[in-house]
Amino acid sequence: MSGSLTYEKEIVAIILYTSCFFMIVAVFLVAFFYFSRKKIIQKEVEKRDLEIHLQKEQLYAVIIAQEEERKRIAQDLHDDISSKLNIVSLNTHLLSSPNLTEAETIEITDNIINLTAKALENSRKIAHNLLPPVFEKFGLNAGVEELCEEFESSKSVKINYKNEIDFEDNNIDRHLHVFRILQELMNNSLRHGKATEINIAFKNNNEINTCTYQDNGIGFDSKNAENQKGLGMKNIDSRISFLNGTLKIDSEIGSGIAVIFTF
Amino acid sequence: MDDFLIYSGYLILLLNLILYTYSFFRKEKANVFFVLYLAFITILQFCMELMYHLRMNNLFFVNIFFVGQMVLLGLFYHSILKLKTQRLFVKLGLGLALLVLAVQFMMDYSQFLKFNLLEIVITSLLVVFFALMYLYNMLTDTRQYYYITIGLIIYLLVSTVLFLVGNLTVGLSDDLKYLTWRLNAFFVLTSYLFVLYEWKVSFNPAKKINS
Repeated sequence: MSGSLTYEKEIVAIILYTSCFFMIVAVFLVAFFYFSRKKIIQKEVEKRDLEIHLQKEQLYAVIIAQEEERKRIAQDLHDDISSKLNIVSLNTHLLSSPNLTEAETIEITDNIINLTAKALENSRKIAHNLLPPVFEKFGLNAGVEELCEEFESSKSVKINYKNEIDFEDNNIDRHLHVFRILQELMNNSLRHGKATEINIAFKNNNEINTCTYQDNGIGFDSKNAENQKGLGMKNIDSRISFLNGTLKIDSEIGSGIAVIFTF
Repeated sequence: MDDFLIYSGYLILLLNLILYTYSFFRKEKANVFFVLYLAFITILQFCMELMYHLRMNNLFFVNIFFVGQMVLLGLFYHSILKLKTQRLFVKLGLGLALLVLAVQFMMDYSQFLKFNLLEIVITSLLVVFFALMYLYNMLTDTRQYYYITIGLIIYLLVSTVLFLVGNLTVGLSDDLKYLTWRLNAFFVLTSYLFVLYEWKVSFNPAKKINS
C-alpha cells in the first residue's frame, strides 16, 4: 500500500515539475520574443533616423551652396558689369554737357565703346561660367575638354584628359552633375592642393561609368573626418547620391588626391 | 543501435574537446569555460561508462553533471555577455541556484542518489535562460557561438523532460526503459554535432585561408 503511494507521489511530482518547467520556459520564450521585437523595431527606427539626418544634411548643403553661388554671381555682376556700366553712364552724361571739343567727344565715345565691349565680354564670361554653352550644345565630353583647356590656359597646370565613353545626349541632366563634380574637384586641386598636374579619365567598367581623378597636390588626411565636412565635399556627395553612384576618395598629406566615382 | 548512438556520441564529444582545446591554445582563442565544460562532460561520461561496466549506481554523477553543466555554462555565458545587468543576472542566478541545491542537499541527501527533480528543473531553466539572453544580444551583433546556443537550447528542452521522467523508467521493464535513453542519446549526439559545426564555422583555420 505504502509502496504504491510513494509511486503515485513520484508521478505527481514528476507531472508538477514537468508542467512547471514548461510553463517557465514558455514565459521565457514569450519574454524573449517580446524583447526581440522591441529591439529590432528600435534598430529600424535608429536606421531611419540616421537616413533622415543624412538627407537633411544634404539638403542643407544644397541650400548653402545655392546661397554661395548667388553671392558669387552678385559679386561678379557688381564687380565686372555694374562698375563698368556706371562709368559708361557717367561718360554719356559727359557727352551731353555743352562746349565739348571734337577731341574730347572722340575720347569719351572711345571710352564708352571700350567699356561696353568689356562689360559685354564679362557678362559673356559670367554666363559661360554658370553654364558653358559648349557643354549644352556638344555634351559632357566637349564640356570637359573645354574646361581643361580653360584651366590650362589661365592657370599653370597640366591636365591629361582621357575619355573612353560615348556619352548620350539625352542624359545631359546627369552629365551636368558629373561636370560640376569635376569643376569642383579641379577648383579644389588648384585652390587648396596647389596641384601642377591633373589626370582625368572616363572608363566603362562592366557597364558602369567610372571616372578617375588624380592630382599631385599637397593632399589631405582622408581619414580625418573634419576634411569630409567641407561644403565642396558635401556638394559632391549629394551630387553622387543623385546619380546613384559611389564615391571613393583617397588622399594622404603630401601625395595628392585620388577620387574614383561611378555614375 | 544503442551502442552506436552512445559511442558515436562519445567519439564526437572527444573530437570536440580536442578541436576546442587546439583552438584554445591557438591565436583565435576558444572560450576557456566552454573548453572546461567539454572537458568536464568528457570526464563525466568516461566515469559513468566505467561505473556502468563495474555495475555500480552512477546516478549520483547525473546530478553532478547537471550542477556542473549549469555552473560552467553559466560562467561561459557570463564571460560572453556584455551588459552589466545581464552579467549580474547570471551571477545572481548561479548563486541562488547553488544555495537552494545546497540547502536541499543538507535536508535530504537521498535526493542526490536518484533523479533530483528540483535540481534538474532549476539547472536546465537557468541555462536556457542564459542562452536566450545571449540569443537576444546576438540579434543585432555578430553571430558568435550561435550554433552552440541553439543546440544547447534544443537539447536542454528535450533532455530535461527525459530526465524528469527518469525515476519512473527505473521501474519499467528492460525492453521499454531504454527507449527514453535511446532518445536522449540521439539528442546528445545532435547537440554535440551542433558544437562541432560551431567549431567549423568559428575556429576552423582552413576556412581562414580562403576568406
